[in-house]
Amino acid sequence: MIPLAGSLRLPLLAALGALFVWLLESLLDPYALSVAMFVGINIILAVSLNITNGFTGLFSLGHPGFMAVGGYVTALLTMLPARKGLMLPDLPSWLAGLHWGFLPALLAGGLCAVLVAVVVGFPVLRLRGHYLAVATLGFIIIVQTLLINLVGLTRGARGLNGLSPLTGPWWVYGWVVVTIYTCWTIKHASLGRAMLAIRENEMAAHCLGVNVTRVRLLAFVLGAFFAGIAGGLWAHLVTLVTPTSFSIVMSFMLVAMVVIGGSGSITGAVIAAAALPLASEAVRPIEEGLGLYGLSQVLVALGVLLILIYRPQGLFGTSEPRFLESRPAALAHPREKPDTLTEKGGIR
Amino acid sequence: MRIPFLGTLAAGLVASTFALGVQAAEPIKIVALYNLTGGMSSLDQPSLNGAKLQAKMINDAGGLLGGRMIEVVPIDTKTDQKETATAAKRAVGMEDVTAGIGYSDTTFVLAAAPLFQDAGIPFVTSGATSPLLPEMVGDMLFLVPFGDNIQAYAMAEYVYNTMGIHDVVVWTDNGMDYTTGLSKYFQERFEKLGGNIVLNDVFLTGDRDFSAQVARLQANQDKAGAVFVAAGPDEAGIIVKQIREAGIDMPILGGDGFDTPLVGSVPGEDLANDVYFTTHAYADLESEAIKTFQQGYKEAYGTDPENAFAALGYDAVGLLADAIKRAGSTDHEKLRDALASTDGYEGVTGTISYENGSRVPLKTVAVMKVENGDFSLVTTMTPSAE
Repeated sequence: MIPLAGSLRLPLLAALGALFVWLLESLLDPYALSVAMFVGINIILAVSLNITNGFTGLFSLGHPGFMAVGGYVTALLTMLPARKGLMLPDLPSWLAGLHWGFLPALLAGGLCAVLVAVVVGFPVLRLRGHYLAVATLGFIIIVQTLLINLVGLTRGARGLNGLSPLTGPWWVYGWVVVTIYTCWTIKHASLGRAMLAIRENEMAAHCLGVNVTRVRLLAFVLGAFFAGIAGGLWAHLVTLVTPTSFSIVMSFMLVAMVVIGGSGSITGAVIAAAALPLASEAVRPIEEGLGLYGLSQVLVALGVLLILIYRPQGLFGTSEPRFLESRPAALAHPREKPDTLTEKGGIR
Repeated sequence: MRIPFLGTLAAGLVASTFALGVQAAEPIKIVALYNLTGGMSSLDQPSLNGAKLQAKMINDAGGLLGGRMIEVVPIDTKTDQKETATAAKRAVGMEDVTAGIGYSDTTFVLAAAPLFQDAGIPFVTSGATSPLLPEMVGDMLFLVPFGDNIQAYAMAEYVYNTMGIHDVVVWTDNGMDYTTGLSKYFQERFEKLGGNIVLNDVFLTGDRDFSAQVARLQANQDKAGAVFVAAGPDEAGIIVKQIREAGIDMPILGGDGFDTPLVGSVPGEDLANDVYFTTHAYADLESEAIKTFQQGYKEAYGTDPENAFAALGYDAVGLLADAIKRAGSTDHEKLRDALASTDGYEGVTGTISYENGSRVPLKTVAVMKVENGDFSLVTTMTPSAE
């Protein structure tokens, strides 16, 4: 389904990516490297949230809930059995004996998030707009409450600490590539077109033979899978998961990234996901020099506001920049055209 | 409040660079990890202020180890675990870090301290009170405050013995390690003394509406003499307000999470009455050390110490300075050994000794009372740990 030029471009991009990660690893100190890894995790989250919120127009705030599922499952699977015995004596014996490698554990985390998404998706996806947003917020709270109260599995409010620091730049950026590739392929395939059609006019899409329920659920589940993976990576980077690790505040940040980047634009999501944390780190020296703590949050919030006022469609709208797109950008949606024109006509 | 603070900071910086130029001695770098913004900031900001004050006082008196100045390097971690992990990586990667201090909550210590442990750098938490922390992190971690078990035991004994109340309702914030631990230790001691827990009610961090709990409390008003609320600083004030607004006038009891000006200001002076809480003793004696601390704080920041966490931050740097003096060096291993053998360090929050290899000090607990929005000391006590 991908155009030829696009598939030729991929190996080149992959090589560039590998060089980039290698440079990151060899040049950065542990602090800068951990910032870079959180940027990568943000990219996975923003790009995958884009499938649900951007392509399909389902306003979901539930990403942190899926991250929590992925994070806890991965942590439980990678933990040494001896440590489990100490920390979680009430674990069922089949689970207590398990000790998996990082990759299978991550995949299991992602798949558990998928299972949860299927169960949650059936009832929740009947809702539209604000109602869906509220329901997914409720989902985060349900997950948090379960994590707090399933003490035997999760150690309650104390959370699981002392996890092995397995997450490295290769893991993070490997998954970044998988996420972007998957989303890119979907966007340019019939499935992506069906998603965009549902976003623009559900009734019309339905009349044209798009199986709305199936596509919506698929978008929700795909987003959840990558959120689960990101949760696993997050847990083994921070080396701690607690019920409050993945909060509602986080889901607003993620939605902000998608909105800033442009709902439906993968490039936009990547840039916004990288820019927000980097901007807040960049302001840090000023903040610390002047003793004005909180400045970074204020500046980032101000930036978000300004973009929403002066460029409500986000940086890229639904389209991707021309040099990455192998076909005319108009494919996504004709309404995009005037936007692209004003973009060219001059930036305010 | 900001301007005099910045002024003194600038003056301090100028003075210390000048002194550096003259003596050419390397500073002793202490990284301070605190949540200066977000939910924990009402505890962490005063802690940092206290730590900086102690460093300034030591520097003004000529520094340590023959004229080396203490440099406190603060990092704001925004009440975000991800920021904490990143900041800890940054801290242990800095050149010549002697030690780390920080945090008033166990979760954040657990996100930061293991990195210090792995790097072999001592970490002193100024305000996290879980007695299990050293066990969970390792031999590089030390606590300045008492463990939660001690303050909960003190409150249980005060209620049962001094106030003569034998039936209580317990509210627990199930979302925090600190509050669940506090509640557990309180009930354990209260029942051991012969007391009766009438009702166990729960809520979650971030809740703003407590009408359901208040209604259940009201229903049990005749059976219980007081309500013990294990809550963090953000919820404490709101809970007091909502209980009093419902017309319930039984005493409200709490732990050091109540030690925030919010407990007075949120309910207002008409409603902030008959609230008792345990906290880190600093107002108990009219000693010179405490007066110096309070005056110094007022001069530097234009306000009285907001709560005991300011004093804890002050003591964290004091404790480290004492250990550095005894170690005679900033070598991490020697510093760790010197910290572990601390015996009778006179801080403003009480005397710190690490006995029998424990890295949680046994200290006096202060019982405070809030009346018309004003905080005053009722008594100090040292409950038995067993």
